[in-house]
Amino acid sequence: MHERLSFYIKRDSLIHRLNPLTKLVLVFAFIGIAFTFPWYWIGLFLFVFVLIPLAFIAKVSREYFFTATRLILPAAGFLFLMQALFQPIGEEIIFQFYFLDATRESLAFAFTIAARIIVMISAFTMLLLTTHPSELMSDLTRRGLPGQFAYVIISTLQILPQMQAKAQTIIAAQRSRGLDTESTFLKRAGSVLPLVGPLVFGSLVEVEERAIAIEARGFTSKKEKTSLHEVPDTVTDKTLRWILIILIILSILLNLWLS
Amino acid sequence: MLDKIKSNFNTQTWVLIPIAIAINLVVGQIVLTLKLPVFLDSIGTVLVAVLCGPWAGALTGALSNTIAGIALDPGWFPWWPVAAMIGYMAGRMAEWGFFKSWWKVVVTGFVIALTAVIVSTPIAVYLFGGITASGSSFITAYLLQTGQGIWQAVASTSFITEPVDKITTAMLAFAIILGLPKRTVGGYPKAANAEAEGADRNQLYIAIGVIVLLVLFAAFMLRNILGG
Repeated sequence: MHERLSFYIKRDSLIHRLNPLTKLVLVFAFIGIAFTFPWYWIGLFLFVFVLIPLAFIAKVSREYFFTATRLILPAAGFLFLMQALFQPIGEEIIFQFYFLDATRESLAFAFTIAARIIVMISAFTMLLLTTHPSELMSDLTRRGLPGQFAYVIISTLQILPQMQAKAQTIIAAQRSRGLDTESTFLKRAGSVLPLVGPLVFGSLVEVEERAIAIEARGFTSKKEKTSLHEVPDTVTDKTLRWILIILIILSILLNLWLS
Repeated sequence: MLDKIKSNFNTQTWVLIPIAIAINLVVGQIVLTLKLPVFLDSIGTVLVAVLCGPWAGALTGALSNTIAGIALDPGWFPWWPVAAMIGYMAGRMAEWGFFKSWWKVVVTGFVIALTAVIVSTPIAVYLFGGITASGSSFITAYLLQTGQGIWQAVASTSFITEPVDKITTAMLAFAIILGLPKRTVGGYPKAANAEAEGADRNQLYIAIGVIVLLVLFAAFMLRNILGG
């Protein structure tokens, strides 16, 4: 299972130094433009001429290509194949195999969808590679996101690996007692409860204790909290955000105007 | 309205949510290793929805997908409205008293499944053109080949797979609440919604029977679709 808490890679680059909110707006700009800009090649264009150079500027190209080959391309490739073979549109059949056929239109459609998905997931991956989750959260909290949300996201990222480890222990323990997790369907279905039970009860019992602990640290206090860690927000960041927002709006307007 | 939302959240709710999200994801992974034809990745969401209320449930669902997107696979992001609606509906059903005995829990599970079908269909159609990267898309693809409309094909696929998954989820959540000590349950805002009216063994067997029937129904539908 995943040992790493998040995708974050600590480096020093132009992109790493950007304000987290700017990077979040950048992600939405990528998605918004990929989905609305009325030009057939937009997805591929964004991927080749914007996202890949960004990966080099951010000095995370190796990690990005690793994620891309392991996660993004298989998903997009599968989606492309399914769409190309199964979309029942178009007349001109390019090739046929049994009852599967790919037409010019279905190939074109599959390409659009796959390119959009690649851009969407790549943009998020880029954000996650260059931004530490707690940095993003402390910046958003400073801008008025309730502290409870930040608590939920950060503490889930902490609890998740712990619970995965616990799950592995429980699986190993129950197997050593002879629990069948591999044979017939009924036996596998029957082993859900012995595996899920201990995991869930074990973690739910902790809730009350944790609640008392964070309550003692002023969790629900209405007073404004100070932050130990200041996240810089420069003029460049602000300008960049406005430019990106204008780009998204332009793309949507163009789409409406041309359709 | 705002007061109603606020009534879902006390400190214990905020502490339960991260644990519920972790339960969602880790139990989902366990079920994946067992190679069962269900996801069971919203048990935590249903738990929060029942114990704390619909708004807390919706938040848990939405954040659950966000965090799965951050920590496991960014492909989870687009489905957050489905998870949020599952949480909301589970909470509403519990408020209407439908989380107190086994047969009511089965009804709740079915309603949640319907909600999931209704919310996920537009996302699948608009974002992925109907065919997503999940295994059940083979059924959708086949239905599309047989000349069905895209909306029908996507909706009938999820209608075959969802009820079994969501009813099992609801029943597991109910079993967990029954097994928790009263003192632990009592601290949550909507603890009264989860007060069992007596957990009748016979009802449990009938509920399990319903699931078996649904599995058979799905298998039968699949055979019909693929054979015909």
